[in-house]
Amino acid sequence: MSEQIEKAFQKQQGIFQNAKVAGKKSVKNNRWYKEVGLGFKTPKEAIEGHYIDKKCPFTGDVSIRGRILTGEIISTKMKRTIIIRREYLHFISKYNRYEKRHKNLAAHMSPAFIGVQQGDSVTVGQCRPLSKTVRFNVLKVQKKVVKGAKNFAKF
Amino acid sequence: MGISRDSRHKRSASGAKRAQYRKKRKFELGRQAANTKLGAKRIHEVRTRGGNRKFRAMRLDAGNFSWGSEAISRKTRIVAVVYNSSNNELVRTATLVKNAIVQIDATPFRQWYEAHYATPIGARKGKGAVKVESEEINKARSNHVQRKVEARKDDAKVDPALDHQFAAGRLYACLSSRPGQSGRADGYILEGQELAFYIRKLKK
Repeated sequence: MSEQIEKAFQKQQGIFQNAKVAGKKSVKNNRWYKEVGLGFKTPKEAIEGHYIDKKCPFTGDVSIRGRILTGEIISTKMKRTIIIRREYLHFISKYNRYEKRHKNLAAHMSPAFIGVQQGDSVTVGQCRPLSKTVRFNVLKVQKKVVKGAKNFAKF
Repeated sequence: MGISRDSRHKRSASGAKRAQYRKKRKFELGRQAANTKLGAKRIHEVRTRGGNRKFRAMRLDAGNFSWGSEAISRKTRIVAVVYNSSNNELVRTATLVKNAIVQIDATPFRQWYEAHYATPIGARKGKGAVKVESEEINKARSNHVQRKVEARKDDAKVDPALDHQFAAGRLYACLSSRPGQSGRADGYILEGQELAFYIRKLKK
């Protein structure tokens, strides 16, 4: 279908697509998905969608273990990955005061999450290294609540 | 040579150049690529970390291929490398790598099919005289076996795209093993959507 953009055939590794069709089962989407655990709900788009992403925590070959962090999205320009900003306060004991610091984090975002924009809050879970800087995978998106959201935010 | 697989030579995520503070270590080593070609079998054994071995196939000509929907595998000759999604150069030089699309000899699969279902496959339509039914189809079978074969005939339908390939005697298959690591060129016969996808790529 339309997700075959690459030069190699994209498919979920491990599921056999070409079983001899005896009856009506061929109409159903022969898709594998899993629950990532820790109480995170697997999105409907992951179960019913047609995308292929081997780095997706729900339909791909990565497990979520280790740290679970949250942050605010500052960039969604990369292909299937986002940059998150995590703010924290660092205590300076001499002055008995805090200073603001931040760290950026690159996380892989599955195509299961659609309509995600800059400014949304996101929960990410640690997984094995997916690329040079990506070690986290998006598990949940909490959209930014805009005051007066009933009006059009942008057009 | 000095192929190493470390990340200390790369710039850090912020772009900073990392200073070298130690020499290359043995556990970071990389070896020359196998670039397995199509030809008479030639395999080199490599001693790896922990005393284990890898079989570097330098040349291969046959492999164990599976026909998924029928759930059988047969050892077959690899005829040609036809498509590689990573690099066209690997097609030109007939290099066997994982996920390369190759053409394999169809005869072991045809023989199995005709013995199992007792129906011809890949029969050429229209051209010339009707071919004599092969020995596999008409061989003497015991009563019990004959009844089993008759019962199977309902499931004997084969996808027309595959049938076409059987007529030509060559099937498209995809390599699923890594010849430079395991020394084998095993794979599976392309069927269904995958087959349609690659046939379209080949036509271009």
